[in-house]
Amino acid sequence: MEIKEKIKTILLVDDDIDLLEQNKLLLETKGFEVITAESGEEGWRVFKKQQPDAAIVDLIMEHHDSGFVLSHRIKKHTKDKPIPVFILTSATYDTGFKFSTATDEEKEWIHCDGIINKPVAVSELLTKLENFFES
Amino acid sequence: MNYQPSILIVDDEKGLRNGTKRLLENEGYSVDTAENGTEGIQKGITNDYDLALIDLRMPDVDGLDVLTAFRKNKPETVCFISTAFASYDSAVESAHLGSFAYIPKPFTPEELLQQLRQGYNRRKLLLESKNLKKEREKNLFELAFEKSRLNTIVQSINEGILIINSKYEVVYFNSALLRLFNINELRVSDVVTEKLPADLFETAEKLIQSDLKSDKSFTKQIEMKAGELFVEVAINHVKDPHGFTVGAIFVVNDISELKKIERIKNQFVSMVAHELKTPIVAVDGFIRIILDKSIKLDESKKTEFLKRSVSRLSSMITLVNDLLDISRMELKNKFRIKNDIDLIPLIQSIINSFEVDFKARKLNIRFNYSTDRVLFFADENEINRLFTNLISNAIKYNKVGGSILVNISDSGNFYIIEIIDSGIGLREKERKQLFEEFFRAKNSSTRGIPGTGLGLTIVKRIVENYHGKIEVESEYEKGSNFKIYLPNYKISKQITGDGNGSNSIN
Repeated sequence: MEIKEKIKTILLVDDDIDLLEQNKLLLETKGFEVITAESGEEGWRVFKKQQPDAAIVDLIMEHHDSGFVLSHRIKKHTKDKPIPVFILTSATYDTGFKFSTATDEEKEWIHCDGIINKPVAVSELLTKLENFFES
Repeated sequence: MNYQPSILIVDDEKGLRNGTKRLLENEGYSVDTAENGTEGIQKGITNDYDLALIDLRMPDVDGLDVLTAFRKNKPETVCFISTAFASYDSAVESAHLGSFAYIPKPFTPEELLQQLRQGYNRRKLLLESKNLKKEREKNLFELAFEKSRLNTIVQSINEGILIINSKYEVVYFNSALLRLFNINELRVSDVVTEKLPADLFETAEKLIQSDLKSDKSFTKQIEMKAGELFVEVAINHVKDPHGFTVGAIFVVNDISELKKIERIKNQFVSMVAHELKTPIVAVDGFIRIILDKSIKLDESKKTEFLKRSVSRLSSMITLVNDLLDISRMELKNKFRIKNDIDLIPLIQSIINSFEVDFKARKLNIRFNYSTDRVLFFADENEINRLFTNLISNAIKYNKVGGSILVNISDSGNFYIIEIIDSGIGLREKERKQLFEEFFRAKNSSTRGIPGTGLGLTIVKRIVENYHGKIEVESEYEKGSNFKIYLPNYKISKQITGDGNGSNSIN
């Protein structure tokens, strides 16, 4: 698969250790190397230290916008060589969270490449990662 | 005749004045005289004579001027012009100015009396029509008054009222409408096309243009000022007596408060949905992994995942129970079985129930009270829940090897129960948010501590149900002190003499 040439290491950030472990396991099964963090702050430290090729971060962690903040930091840091950053959330549009990444403008504003609703299907995640390199 | 018609004789000739006076007094008139025009006018407008006999030629004021003054001020006084210099012109002019008759001098008594009789009949007719006119005016006035009362009622109601005709012109509106439609100015006969919110106008158009005899009504909710003013507008036909639509009436209600409550409710539902979804997603994930044949897991890992699933599910059950408790507390007619509860054994038994946890975390617990009994009239389940939540928090958020002190004191009006822990404490910002639904302090030391985020919400509601209060003192990383004030009903019972309070149901 072509995607594995582009992405070797994925950073997973989630304060729910059960979901963190599940997603880590699923991505490892697909052959990726996965590094993890349990908060936005820790995620940023791990990112700078290990420079992963992609990041998948939970939205609501120590703050309601921790995922946005971390995504923003990573995007700013990787301006020259962009990497895909996706935000995970179970607080979807239906439950009153009024945002999406349907348009380029929204992606620009939110500073991430997509918002993924929990539960995550790994196949969906892989498609999104592939799309990132195609566009 | 019983009634003496009054007459004023205005004549500068003394002989004629007195002669006529005598004649008329004999005929039963009440006679007054004026010896010149000025006096005539002065008397004529201050009194209300039935008749006036005015000489045409007088040295000071002309008789026609006197006549004019009478007509202007006393239009019901019937005036006669008399003169020795009768001429066709003056006769015409006096008639023109409103004299009843023109009496040339010299006149015979019969001629004069005949004229005066006719004049008096005229006077009676004039008075009668004046009374009728007054009556009519009075009725009209009352009608107008009735209308203005209705107007006052419509103006003073909180609902906005607007009536338009089939040309979309304003026919009627009240002041509440201006506020609710956020309009600064509106006048009767203004066309409403531009003044109404677009979709409201379309609806009115539909209604007015629809089948003339149809009977439709529409209700719309419109946000007039974003997040501030929400209105509900009911639009109905206005019909003529034959049942044809001739316009539309808008009745506008302010529903801003309702919308605010709706928003708070929706927010709460969203938060609940999120809190419920998170554990479901975790359990779903574990089960899928266990079922997925492509993922190799050893038995111990599978068991671990199942155990973690069970733990997520049981915390979800706790959450649902908390939610049910909260909604039960919201009910105004909650069924409570109240008794005099002794707080000392109650708290002691809660402490005992946590013994395993104290040992596991090596916590030192002390329970202090100065009196033998602390009786509180309440529902035992609620009070049990109150202190269970607080002591459970004191354990969960404590440090290994820390301490907990439960202290009961009596301030007279209140029992003060303090739960003091040596735990992680709260930052000032966290302390303020503490009683919000689903608030849980999130930092490195709270990670992994289970909880629904509803425990203190429940605590606060129980305390408030019993007219008590709760205070929190806390120092970050040092510990917290939750102080519960419960009103001492024993004292208030003694004061009001409402003594026997056992086993009553509230």
